[in-house]
Amino acid sequence: MTAPGSTAAGSIAPAPSVEFEGVSFAYPDGTRALEEVSLRIEPGESVAVIGQNGSGKSTLVRHLNGLLRPTAGRVLLEGRDIRREHVAGLAERVGLAFQNPDRQLFAGRVSAEVAFGPRNLGIRGQQLEERVVAALEAVGLGGEAASNPYDLGYSRRKLLALASVLAMRTPILVLDEPTTGQDARGVVRVRAVVERAVGEGRTVIAISHDMSFVAECFRRVVVMRAGRVVVDGGPEVVFGEAAWPELRAAHLEPPRAAVAGARLGLGSTPTDAALVAALVAAGRGRG
Amino acid sequence: MAIELGSVRYRYAGSASSVLGPIDLRVEPGRVVGVAGANESGKSTLCLVAAGLAPGVIGGRLEGSVRIDGVDAATLRPHELAQRCGLLFQHASTQLSHTTATVFEEVAFGPCNLGLPVAEVVTRVWWALRTAGIEPLASRDPARLSGGQGQLVALASVLALRPRYLILDEPTSELDPAGTQLVAEALERIVRETGAGILLVEHKTDVLARIADEVVVLDHGAVVLSGSAAAVLADPRLAELGVEPPAGVRLERAVRASGLEWSAELEEAVE
Amino acid sequence: MTLSSVASAAVISGLPDYVIREPRGFYHSLNPATKLSVAALEVVAAFVIPGWLGPGLVIAVLLATAAASRTLRGLMVIGLAALPLVVSIMVVNLFVLPGASDPIVRIGPLAPTWSGLWFGLMTTARLLAFSSAVALAYMTTPIDDLLADLARRGLGRRGMFVIGAAVQMVPRTIERVGEITDAQRARGMDTEGRIWRRARGLVPLAAPVVFGALAEVEERTMALEARGFTAPGRQTLLRVPADRSIDRALRWLALAGVVAVAALRLAGRMG
Repeated sequence: MTAPGSTAAGSIAPAPSVEFEGVSFAYPDGTRALEEVSLRIEPGESVAVIGQNGSGKSTLVRHLNGLLRPTAGRVLLEGRDIRREHVAGLAERVGLAFQNPDRQLFAGRVSAEVAFGPRNLGIRGQQLEERVVAALEAVGLGGEAASNPYDLGYSRRKLLALASVLAMRTPILVLDEPTTGQDARGVVRVRAVVERAVGEGRTVIAISHDMSFVAECFRRVVVMRAGRVVVDGGPEVVFGEAAWPELRAAHLEPPRAAVAGARLGLGSTPTDAALVAALVAAGRGRG
Repeated sequence: MAIELGSVRYRYAGSASSVLGPIDLRVEPGRVVGVAGANESGKSTLCLVAAGLAPGVIGGRLEGSVRIDGVDAATLRPHELAQRCGLLFQHASTQLSHTTATVFEEVAFGPCNLGLPVAEVVTRVWWALRTAGIEPLASRDPARLSGGQGQLVALASVLALRPRYLILDEPTSELDPAGTQLVAEALERIVRETGAGILLVEHKTDVLARIADEVVVLDHGAVVLSGSAAAVLADPRLAELGVEPPAGVRLERAVRASGLEWSAELEEAVE
Repeated sequence: MTLSSVASAAVISGLPDYVIREPRGFYHSLNPATKLSVAALEVVAAFVIPGWLGPGLVIAVLLATAAASRTLRGLMVIGLAALPLVVSIMVVNLFVLPGASDPIVRIGPLAPTWSGLWFGLMTTARLLAFSSAVALAYMTTPIDDLLADLARRGLGRRGMFVIGAAVQMVPRTIERVGEITDAQRARGMDTEGRIWRRARGLVPLAAPVVFGALAEVEERTMALEARGFTAPGRQTLLRVPADRSIDRALRWLALAGVVAVAALRLAGRMG
């Protein structure tokens, strides 16, 4: 029986709170990507960031591990400005899984690829091996430890990239479009990983285009448009009818369940389960 | 008049086992045939075989026959195939030639390769841009477009060769919902205005639900389900084949599973 | 039909301005081949004409041309960029010129020499003349124009593609390396700390570039085939830079100049 926040291969440090304080960011060529974003994420929250391409989502999350530094404002972890910290140091607390696995895979063996992250954090020997095995199991690649990453198809390479970040056991886990390009089985795996991470007390932040994934797996949804946060709340709020104009302005559509629920006058039903529950509660559809 | 695959089996060069087969498939002009299946079920290979590029360009061994409008694909050179079957892939940027400064010239790349007179090239380019819905982008730098725009440029560049068939391998997989919408609309317009036949591989079954007439599902290289889009996408076996059913179907299942009735009212609300 | 009327023919067939992109301005409007020939003459003159006359004359001509074509600023930038090289040339020649025996001053073991100074300055002048000649040609000739001109003169589509794609490849690869670096840093690879730790990052940075490029090759090849890249015959050229009589005259002059300079030098007339 393991205590909350700890797992077989070593416990995970308690997650720090994350705060963006008036963060603005402009690229060297002048393109403005973030405009005075202020956002606070509590330890252990699961947050989905949604918005059209170019709305600032990727720019935002890259501030979490120092890959990008604000041109105005501050980014705080547990109340401390991370401005002076190196990216390599922040990697201990913030794990970021990128969208395109082919921009990071370099090792000849799957196990070496997964070991890269924790090894950089100073993990060795038995503990390292346990972490690699656990991470591969978590994404369903347990049998592929000796394979060459490029012998795996694209969606399994994506899962491999995810495993390589999971093995770092960071208290904050950031996923950039984890379900894009995945087949149904891959999506199931990703959902399981998110659920497990949340259960371990980690803060999970994900960028996604998949509205049902967002509505079903995350407690909080942040909608971005043109570098600003335009809606911020639980799925019932963000996908509720009142927020639809903002969603549409951000070039997004609510999940089908939310649309159906609104049409049937059942209030906000962002997920299939919520719609069913609302139907039951309203006594509709019983013969 | 169709792309016809008869008893096709295919194995890659240097590979001992068939990755595709046995396949019988027919794509007719004016119809959209959707292809779904788990990753590595042979969908991409199917696209290459149907377009005649496998084994024509990439080698490997093909058994059975691939005929395009009655002509054996093996007898056609790649540039002749290109004028019959346009082929599109997932990643917009690998499809750009990276040698052109404007979208206009990028779309003209194909017709120019064919040596057509300038006046003809210009006509085709404007037609292709209009059909793909991207006339306003004509003067833009192809390297600086969003994912959705890039895919539409790739689509226009292939259209400029005036193929009767289009084969698309997961064109929307990297796109956001807005981009996916643009591509789906463009495909609908193409079928409507040109009567092209389309073979569309997609994970996003909502897109297939919207534009496909028929759907086939592949598993380990073979066709395991086929029929009208509505029937196949509602088939209970989809999940175990690694395909996520469309949102409407999932909702219906969730409602029925909890013992509630699926009424016409619900059906309409979910549309 | 002279080449200047090819441009008008293109306008008649409906090519938009942003495709024709006719270069305007002094020197810019010359044909690319002409500018290259002039640059070649300038380089030969700078190195073959002895003494200060060679580099001096060339630099004077270059500065005048740059001023008239509004590219002076760019030339200054090149000059600044060459500064570290210039400094090292001066230092090496001042202090270590073999056979020099006319010191300017003695500072302990160091003895800069007059011959060293002279030789260093001369070498610098030649270097600046060479790089400025190349820079001027580069700044006044868009790469598309150069490629289009080469194509008109017979460069086939493969050649055009290789050069054009290679040029665009550089910024793309830089961007890609940036993304790869980000991904590896996010996994704890140190790029800001001590050098020996940073050296370990070579494989994680280089390997994905190579693998990524290899993985793309097949898809890119097929995208090219799908656009008729291997069609037989000559490709259509949408835009061709003008080649006027002044261009031909200048090229002949440049050729004559190169021959004359070389001949005079060989005949020992320049000492």
